Amino acid sequence: MTPHSLVPITDIKPGAELAEALRDAGGALLRPAGYVLAEADLENLQRRGIEAIAIVTPRDPAEDSRLREAARARVLHIFRHSAEAPEAQALLHAVLAFRQEHFR
Amino acid sequence: MTHPSLAEMIARLHKLPAMPAVAMELLSSLSDDNTEVDALARRIAQDQAIAARVLRVANSPFYGLQTQVGSIRDAIVVLGFSSVRSLVLTATVVSGLPAGRCPGFSQEHFWRHGLAVGVAARNLARALGHKGDNLFIAGLLHDIGRLAMVVVAPDDYARVIATAHEQDCPWQQAEMSAFGYDHADVGAALAQRWNFPEDIRQALAFHHAPSGGTPGGPAGLIHYADAIAKALDLDGAEDTQLPHLDPATIDALDLDQHTLARVLAETQEGFDHCSLLLG
Repeated sequence: MTPHSLVPITDIKPGAELAEALRDAGGALLRPAGYVLAEADLENLQRRGIEAIAIVTPRDPAEDSRLREAARARVLHIFRHSAEAPEAQALLHAVLAFRQEHFR
Repeated sequence: MTHPSLAEMIARLHKLPAMPAVAMELLSSLSDDNTEVDALARRIAQDQAIAARVLRVANSPFYGLQTQVGSIRDAIVVLGFSSVRSLVLTATVVSGLPAGRCPGFSQEHFWRHGLAVGVAARNLARALGHKGDNLFIAGLLHDIGRLAMVVVAPDDYARVIATAHEQDCPWQQAEMSAFGYDHADVGAALAQRWNFPEDIRQALAFHHAPSGGTPGGPAGLIHYADAIAKALDLDGAEDTQLPHLDPATIDALDLDQHTLARVLAETQEGFDHCSLLLG
């Protein structure tokens, strides 16, 4: 999952990316998820009375590496009695790849 | 320490809460093509708590429906009877079969694991070109014998859990040491008592020893789905460990790495959505 946080619109700089679609009170789409906000967008949205927006937070490589290591350690704990068993190898490698990629 | 024998355990199964009537009807519809879907839909809709949970899942983004479904009948039209049957059966057994009190046993972990194995089994079955609905239900219920042991002999089972924890061994192994039989034996007896379809009975009886079931049958799929659910950590239990895998069964499934990776991703996603059924 992409890390994101709800940030007051006055603190957002041009170039920030929307973490989720932005809709008005009636549910109409204003900007799609992934849209990169320009200066004019921020002024426009402020005029519409929008106070805070969910924007994508840049990933921290050190934090990612810590999460990947935690996922790996957890998988090896679950496989603690079967990490060497030939019949468990395919599942071990697939689940290591999946959980390290998704930080789960 | 004397534990109830398998015969005594089976004789005491009447202590279990009755399988909810709607769940029994849904299970018998698995092997009956003449099920009256309309009548069953009306019966399901009468239990508003169950219907509400099922509709919450049916309307989740997972199914990507264009319009919201507002009734069980609509859900059957849009998702199909077999999908709705799986959802209703899950919501019904999870709330209808309470475990009582057994120190160390978590009903939440138990049903999270059952649901995870159901989702994994359905995805495995589809990846291998089989129909997945019976497999989902077989996965959901595969450990039901354990729930029976917990209800019938809570103090004995609490010691099984404590021993498994001390020795860091699978619960199934500790059951065997203490009782001389395991939850798969009890599950097979329950399946007979409750008239489960044969493929579900086989899955309950042989998921730890799939060579005892029909070759290429449901027990082998549930055997691997059990391991997939544990590897993905979906039950939420701290001391999870991979169950022993049967090499011949894993060979016979013949899954390539690409397909296995896809099954893992689909299982994680399917579980995240279906876990709304757990309340």
